[in-house]
Amino acid sequence: MRRFGVAVLAAASAVLLLAFSGALFGHSPWSLLSILGSGSVGSRFALAGTLLKAVPLLLTGLSVVIAFRAGVWNIGGEGQFIVGGLAALVASRWGVVASLAAAMLAGAAWASIASAMRLWRNAPEVLTTILLNFTAIHLLGWSVNGPLREHAAQYPQTDPAGAALPVLGGVHAGIVLAVAASVFAWWLLYRTAEGLRLRATGFNPNAARWAGIRVGAQLARAMAISGAAAGLAGGVELLGVTHRLFERFAAGYGYSGIAVALLAQLHPLATIASALFFGALVTGAGELQRAANISAGLATFGQAVVILTLIVFENVRSRR
Amino acid sequence: MIHLSHITKTFGPTRAVDDVSLEVQRGEIVALAGENGAGKTTLMRIAAGEIDADGGTVNREGRAELVHQHFLLVDALTIAENLALTHLGFRFTTRRMIEREAREIIAGTGIELRDVSRRVSELSVGERSKLELIKAIARRPATLILDEPTSVLTPNETGELFAVMRRVAGEGTAVVFISHKLPEVLAVAQRVIVMRAGRVVAESAARDTNVQALANAMVVAQSPGLPVAGQLGDRVTGQPNIKAIVGVAGNGQSELAAKLRDEHREAGHIPEDRSRDGIVAELTIAENLALKAKRWNARDAARHAERMIALYSIRASGPLQRAGDLSGGNQQKVILARELDRRPPMIVAAEPTRGLDIAATRFVHEQLRAAAADGASILLITSDLNEAFALAGTIQVIYRGRLSEAMTPEEASRRVAALMAGVA
Amino acid sequence: MFDLVVDSVPLAIVASIPLLLAVEGELIVQRGGIINLGIEGMMLTAAMTAAFAAQTTHNLAIGFVGGVAGAAMIAALFGLFAIVLRADQIVTGTAINLLALGGTSFVYHETQAFQQPVPQLRTDPLLPLAWIVAPIILGVILWNSSFGLRLRACGEHPEALLATGRSVRMHRWAALMIEGLLVGLAGAYLSLALSSGFAENMTAGRGFIALSIVIFGRWKLKGALLGTAIFGLAAAMQYALQAANRGIPFHLLLAVPYVVTLLILCGVAGRVRAPEALAKP
Repeated sequence: MRRFGVAVLAAASAVLLLAFSGALFGHSPWSLLSILGSGSVGSRFALAGTLLKAVPLLLTGLSVVIAFRAGVWNIGGEGQFIVGGLAALVASRWGVVASLAAAMLAGAAWASIASAMRLWRNAPEVLTTILLNFTAIHLLGWSVNGPLREHAAQYPQTDPAGAALPVLGGVHAGIVLAVAASVFAWWLLYRTAEGLRLRATGFNPNAARWAGIRVGAQLARAMAISGAAAGLAGGVELLGVTHRLFERFAAGYGYSGIAVALLAQLHPLATIASALFFGALVTGAGELQRAANISAGLATFGQAVVILTLIVFENVRSRR
Repeated sequence: MIHLSHITKTFGPTRAVDDVSLEVQRGEIVALAGENGAGKTTLMRIAAGEIDADGGTVNREGRAELVHQHFLLVDALTIAENLALTHLGFRFTTRRMIEREAREIIAGTGIELRDVSRRVSELSVGERSKLELIKAIARRPATLILDEPTSVLTPNETGELFAVMRRVAGEGTAVVFISHKLPEVLAVAQRVIVMRAGRVVAESAARDTNVQALANAMVVAQSPGLPVAGQLGDRVTGQPNIKAIVGVAGNGQSELAAKLRDEHREAGHIPEDRSRDGIVAELTIAENLALKAKRWNARDAARHAERMIALYSIRASGPLQRAGDLSGGNQQKVILARELDRRPPMIVAAEPTRGLDIAATRFVHEQLRAAAADGASILLITSDLNEAFALAGTIQVIYRGRLSEAMTPEEASRRVAALMAGVA
Repeated sequence: MFDLVVDSVPLAIVASIPLLLAVEGELIVQRGGIINLGIEGMMLTAAMTAAFAAQTTHNLAIGFVGGVAGAAMIAALFGLFAIVLRADQIVTGTAINLLALGGTSFVYHETQAFQQPVPQLRTDPLLPLAWIVAPIILGVILWNSSFGLRLRACGEHPEALLATGRSVRMHRWAALMIEGLLVGLAGAYLSLALSSGFAENMTAGRGFIALSIVIFGRWKLKGALLGTAIFGLAAAMQYALQAANRGIPFHLLLAVPYVVTLLILCGVAGRVRAPEALAKP
């Protein structure tokens, strides 16, 4: 219960600090907050926007939850999201299922590059996953300007995918997939031997090793699953929302997943609520940009404030 | 000179020090004896001023230096650099300058430690112990406190240490040394104070007492099957299936245990460091017990845990208790339960009774004997000679990573001191 | 091919200045036992505050001061979390990067100051500073001073230093402030000398590349110089290849720095000995 309170407090602090920052530059904090609110949940349209944004956030959030629970620093959600989208596009000619499967495989493979470098060369995955993000971004740039460019050759984007997720009243079926993934992640972590080993490795890799767990392989598996989740996020976003790939396809979903996961205190089911909160924040920030010409970077700023506030409260709590 | 009066100190629910008064005069060598957990280290940390007492007063004349059991040396730096850490303000230095100063410091203490340009990581355990001693003595304290200084020394090195202690005491320093090795205590101390469960239970001049009396004071009850501290090899209780590898800590035991762990995955492994390598503190008892299982079912795991708790007399509130909340002895029981219950054909136990009280130690020995009687072959890696001789039918000595040939307990009791010191 | 390499050298030396300063700063901090993943955000913030200061005062020197001030602010924030609160350094660093990314974009769009012209850089004191002066001074501090000895102890076995009555925290703060100074200059150089003002996300991963080079150089200054030189040359060749139009697609060329860094991390074969206490609170 207390952890829930901490999360709520962190979220509230973030919003307040955002309003305060706006005030520093002459905006009225009240109007800022009200635009945030109405822009995210104030209308049917806004709500739909929030839900749409929450879906990829939920999946990238789950990606981070699984990785961090295993003690692996997967900061590569951004890149895994992108290659997931790329694979989904290419495989889309064979239908939705094949497309999403390809997305998961691609995400897992991209993450596994970092895994392999850690296993064989002791390269810290916290750095390699980030470097792979930049690599993926430019891979995407090359693809949409080059081999995958649309036939009309007008904009740097691809042709629409060969498949699409069915629409359900303003949102797409991806929402069902995302929630299912959340439940699956919970089941995996808390109801299977693999999940127990994964969590044990995350808490104490030494003790895990002494208990007979092959830590290296365990971490590699966790990375792959984590990457698959982020890849799936990309695939779902492609087939459900954007239908095409373009240069800013990932738009920070990968990094946002970290904030989503931490606010959810690394619990798979709580990630749903956390993703909704950040979905609202991003959507509201978009409205802020439209209505008050305030940079949408404020949403990224807000994510960081949430994380930092969480750290402060965790710290205060553990000192008592 | 230190005068402690009615000191109490509580950590959470445990009373580590319970109304203790004692004093040490200049030039005296006093030994503080007792089992693990008796409160000796805590009391001395209070005496040295490292931590504050909850009640009572500390009267100290001059400064007190405490040499800890676990080394506070920087492995990556050289001897000279480690000594320089204690002595500088801000200034520019060169390697030659620091090494010269280091040699001067070492010479001033009268202890021998050559080649100060060596990295601490290259030193033997005995040399590191010397360096810690040099650090402390060089600061010319009025009181010198040594915490289990001989636990990692060979008999030869122990003799050298005692010579230093006598010299330093002769120069007027008050010396206190904490130890649970009774023969040593009587060899060098003038006065012995025995602690048990946070209180002083006995105090006498060394010449007025003997090992048996001290041992009796240290424990609540003596059981006939238990080896008395200090008596070696006069009990033929060793079992054929149990092999012991003995040696002073730091001679390759950890590496050996880790190698065996990776090479014999089907065997049971009891790690040396139970809190770091043994249990996962954040998981429940049931989860810890299930770490080696192929499948997980919450209800079965809980039931299994309840069975183990009963079987191994684990003091816990239930299968869902966080393993990190258990006491050391009970954590060790959880590890034992996990490893032994599967009845593996081979068991490697590294320092299985380190830090445990008498009752827990006895329990562990019983379990190991039972497993051996059942047919398992047991490899016991320990620095406790009594334990080795009480349990094993075969003994080997490890020194600097190499094993001696296998010996019978009789043969070992003759040669073990020499082998442990590296003297063939 | 060879002439391409030679032509790239002058560009490499100049363009790598921000990177090198960042590597030097991070090296000192990591020797003290802290890993500052937020160095990317620190440089980005410095780039923005430097541009802001220079463009509002029309004075380049003040611009550089502004850069250092911005970096110091971030260093203080990071230190508050990593040293005082003893929070997880990786999570904190990541949060700081996000903070800087969002924050700088926000501020950039809020004021007209960034529309002003940027004063020109006439003499370049940072080139000898980064490549010669700083390495020498830092080397003396780290290896030939009592402070440096104690700082290295902080990075290997802080408890040992604590036992002598010194403050591990103070040493780490000092290292962080040195990094703030260096990274502040780096960010300022990036926006004022290498570009004509601030642009969103202009650091483009330099901070992470700097972290990789610190590892490659095995936490030594010589290694830092070598690693930066190698990387700088490879990155500069990217422009040369572009200009020479050898048919390699533009976007793939943009990926070259990151792939090279990944290869650099691969080249750190086998057991690399990091400072023992690195990243432990």
